[in-house]
Amino acid sequence: MDDGNMEESNEKASESELEAEEDEAVSLTEHAKSCIFDLDSLLDKVGDISWPENVGWIHKLSVDIDQQQEVDVNDDLARELAFYTQALEGTRLAFEKLQSMGLPFLRPSDYYAEMVKTDSHMEKVKGRLLAEKKKIEEAEGRRKAREGKRLAKEIQAQKLKERAKQKREEIESVKKWRKQRQQSGFAGGEKDVEMDLDLEQQGKVFQRSDKKRPGVAPGDRSGGKAKQGGGRTGKKPKKREQRNLKFGSGGRKGLKRQKTAETTNDISGFNRRACHCK
Amino acid sequence: MGKKRKQRETEVVAPPKKDMSAEERPKRTLLGWKDKSEEVGKESDSSGFRNKEKVLVTCSRRINFRYRHLMLNVVSLLPHCKKDNKVESKASKGATLNELVELKGGSSCLFFECRKHKDLYLWMVKCPNGPSVKFLVNAVHTMEELKLTGNHLSGSRPILTFSDNFDKDAHWKLLKEMIIQIFGVPKEHRKSKPYHDHVFVFSIVDDHIWFRNYQISVPHNEADKLPRGGLENMTLVEVGPRFCLNPIKIFGGSFGGPTLYENPFYISPNQIRALDKKKKAGKYAKKVKAKTRRKMHELSNQLEPDEFADMWKE
Repeated sequence: MDDGNMEESNEKASESELEAEEDEAVSLTEHAKSCIFDLDSLLDKVGDISWPENVGWIHKLSVDIDQQQEVDVNDDLARELAFYTQALEGTRLAFEKLQSMGLPFLRPSDYYAEMVKTDSHMEKVKGRLLAEKKKIEEAEGRRKAREGKRLAKEIQAQKLKERAKQKREEIESVKKWRKQRQQSGFAGGEKDVEMDLDLEQQGKVFQRSDKKRPGVAPGDRSGGKAKQGGGRTGKKPKKREQRNLKFGSGGRKGLKRQKTAETTNDISGFNRRACHCK
Repeated sequence: MGKKRKQRETEVVAPPKKDMSAEERPKRTLLGWKDKSEEVGKESDSSGFRNKEKVLVTCSRRINFRYRHLMLNVVSLLPHCKKDNKVESKASKGATLNELVELKGGSSCLFFECRKHKDLYLWMVKCPNGPSVKFLVNAVHTMEELKLTGNHLSGSRPILTFSDNFDKDAHWKLLKEMIIQIFGVPKEHRKSKPYHDHVFVFSIVDDHIWFRNYQISVPHNEADKLPRGGLENMTLVEVGPRFCLNPIKIFGGSFGGPTLYENPFYISPNQIRALDKKKKAGKYAKKVKAKTRRKMHELSNQLEPDEFADMWKE
């Protein structure tokens, strides 16, 4: 029974809701119908307030522009574009008229006068525009750097592949040739010597190139030939380094080598015979 | 008595004598000889019309900061206006405002009325007995926004552009006339500047009047001639402010009088807010009702006992 009551109350409530909505709709339409529109007095008033007919256009400076399409109010870009085109058309027509009248209408570059926005405000505007520009440029730069890096990596990978391929091919070709020679038999001693020499030279060539190539950094433009000069240049810094570590004022033992009371009184490092005492 | 008669006689005699004399020599000016005929022509052209519009701009008390800045922007755009102090809320009835305008010697008035710190109504009134319009103002952007980057001479005369649907209905025609008179700067006003470097846009979209203000920038060398590619290279930069007017009513008198026009599509912001609240208020009640309805429905249409209900009970 309670459920039955609930049902009825539900229906009534929904009905009343519908009624309320209908009421609102009805009131709106009534309002629309009952709106006053007094055409005659409106036109009378227009006549009352408007300036005399023979007033020149120069006083009104008004231009009527034809709105080509219906503009959707909610589409911001289209709406602003429509306003912009209206303004542009208007100024074009107005300027043509002004030019035909021979009146000055463009501000000369040396005409300085009070502007509607203060200079300080325009400085802020400029600052903001510059900041935006900078942001965009930075983003562009970062993107380009990323792209460039990726490309460079790809190119480098390709180069390495090619070199490896070449190397392989050359070795293969030599092996093939050897095989051929073996199969065809050893015809002619001189040719052998030459061939052998050639073989060895070729082998040496491979070895030499092997030495220089690995260990070259990808970004190294000189191709690994910048730091050269054999063993001596490599050894000297090592010796220097050792000495620095042993006697210098920095490094791991730097703190232990400082001048303190104990070290000053410690004369064990001096040679008795070599010192010249006065 | 006798003296007076004599004077009159001399006066009557004098003018014909002047006509008889030879034509006056044309005036000599720096640029050449100034012909009298030219002078006469110019005078008849202007026909003695001078735009003596004076606009009084006021606002009500308790106006919002954004709307106050809008009012100040409008004041800076119109050199022929005079800004007055805030009017008391009781004084925003018609009579006191009319008196105020008359006192200041204005011929029209822009009254910014802000209600509930939220809604801005703009009254555009032609005094002393002209029509008046009440608008609801939306979508306000002031000149201080940094995205509106243009700038122009303060007090230069704007070019007013209207969309063609202003001529389609009587009430729009009336509004157009009022806008031309209020927003157009008089030609030889004291505070007006020469050169036209900005343009106003009044456009009717969706029965609202949209206002925009653009700065005109044309690369040029001379003040009265456009360079060859001038019209193509012209760009407009928005100066601001921006607002959208929704006409509510047009009255025959100033700040009152017989209603000439009512906007059928106008819904007051209070009504909009009330509708929104009603929708929200109904949410919980509707939820409860939906629950009970579901219960009823379930009770009335019993489900068949499920075959697999006891499968995993064990």
